[in-house]
Amino acid sequence: MSEEAGTRADELTLETLDDDGALSQALEGISGDRGDFLRKAALGGAALLAAFATPAAAAPSKKNDTAILNYALTLEYLQAVFYTEAIEIGALSGALKEQARIVGGHERGHVKALRGVLGDAAVKRPRFNFRGATESPAAFRKTAVAFEDLAVAAYKGQAPFIDSKAYLAAAISIHSVEARHAAWIRRLAGVSPAADAFDRPFSESKVRRLVSSTHFIVRTRRRMTPPFTG
Amino acid sequence: MTDPIFVEDVHERTDGAGAGSCLTRANLLEKSVIAGGAMVVGGAVIGGLPALATSAPSADHDVEILNFALLVEYLQASFYKEALARGALTGELREFARVVGSHEREHVAFIKRTLGRKARRKPPFDFSDTTRDKDKFGPTAVTLEEIGLAAYNGQAANLTKGALAAAARIVSVEARHASWIRDILGRNPAPHATDAGLSAAKVTAAVKRTGFVT
Repeated sequence: MSEEAGTRADELTLETLDDDGALSQALEGISGDRGDFLRKAALGGAALLAAFATPAAAAPSKKNDTAILNYALTLEYLQAVFYTEAIEIGALSGALKEQARIVGGHERGHVKALRGVLGDAAVKRPRFNFRGATESPAAFRKTAVAFEDLAVAAYKGQAPFIDSKAYLAAAISIHSVEARHAAWIRRLAGVSPAADAFDRPFSESKVRRLVSSTHFIVRTRRRMTPPFTG
Repeated sequence: MTDPIFVEDVHERTDGAGAGSCLTRANLLEKSVIAGGAMVVGGAVIGGLPALATSAPSADHDVEILNFALLVEYLQASFYKEALARGALTGELREFARVVGSHEREHVAFIKRTLGRKARRKPPFDFSDTTRDKDKFGPTAVTLEEIGLAAYNGQAANLTKGALAAAARIVSVEARHASWIRDILGRNPAPHATDAGLSAAKVTAAVKRTGFVT
């Protein structure tokens, strides 16, 4: 990925990370047998763009809740390991390091909370290779902006499908913290912390496509060097 | 489930008014809530809180909650508009007020459009010197944004799924605003791993404490 200084605001989007989506299969593996639900959820995503359109697909249920929380857990793993690794590598300083330290702590907290709720049903942490994004301030900033905006859109896309009031309250309470993170890192990256009056939801399929395109999730169990315990 | 630091934020005194005048303003608010036809929702919030907090999602309940949100959006939109009009802000604070003010106006327009003739009217506000003094503007903006965020988060589970989808598009923008103004002021933009919502009663109390609703 480009690490040019002075990247323009409109380049700081997930689309800049969107390559060829070659690792979608890897993420598919993580998704396990939830594919059917996730496809249904994706159908509902378009309807959510219209205010007060009742999601037509994927009736909320306990089973769907588990799938949604595992989907959220995968995104939280991604973020938690990213920040933890960036701090370990030590290329960040000043305000950026402080952001990584605090936000990393939150993401690890989200992982712990979701794993606690899911118990035995929790998906395992995948292996990640951040391909340099944790090794320079410029690459870190750009990737962190993308991750945080993505997390906001992902939680927003799933909230209306959550059946349990307790799970919904938990997801909603994480959702707005991801938005705080997004605004924080955007300001540090020199782009508007709040670009629009309304944040858009992303369907699960869109999120999965964007994450896949980063190639950050690797399927193999081969140990990446250096190893991080996240 | 309340977040201590958050509560601290909404409790903080930003208007510089003495306890006496605050109390007076709170009393006035109470009277206007009970007496004002346009503030029926406020009355329901104060008078019938347990029912509001626990009743099942329904279209009628959505109207109540959205009217409650509309009051907070009116408050925010008017605050930024007045601060810009008074011209005391410079630099990033001014940019913040300009951008965020336009967002809040869009939120007001969206909720009013959604509620149609059921939308409450905008009450009069008195922001005292918080819109004239740039040192008071920032902390006040933090309070108003945190109130907005906590109000939406607190009601999320009480909304129908369709209304929740719409409200979710607004609440994360309120969170961005809160983070932005905190960062400008040198405060931690994200002090906690989760943002607990506040009950309608606590939001109402926080709004009253500002003394801005006359």
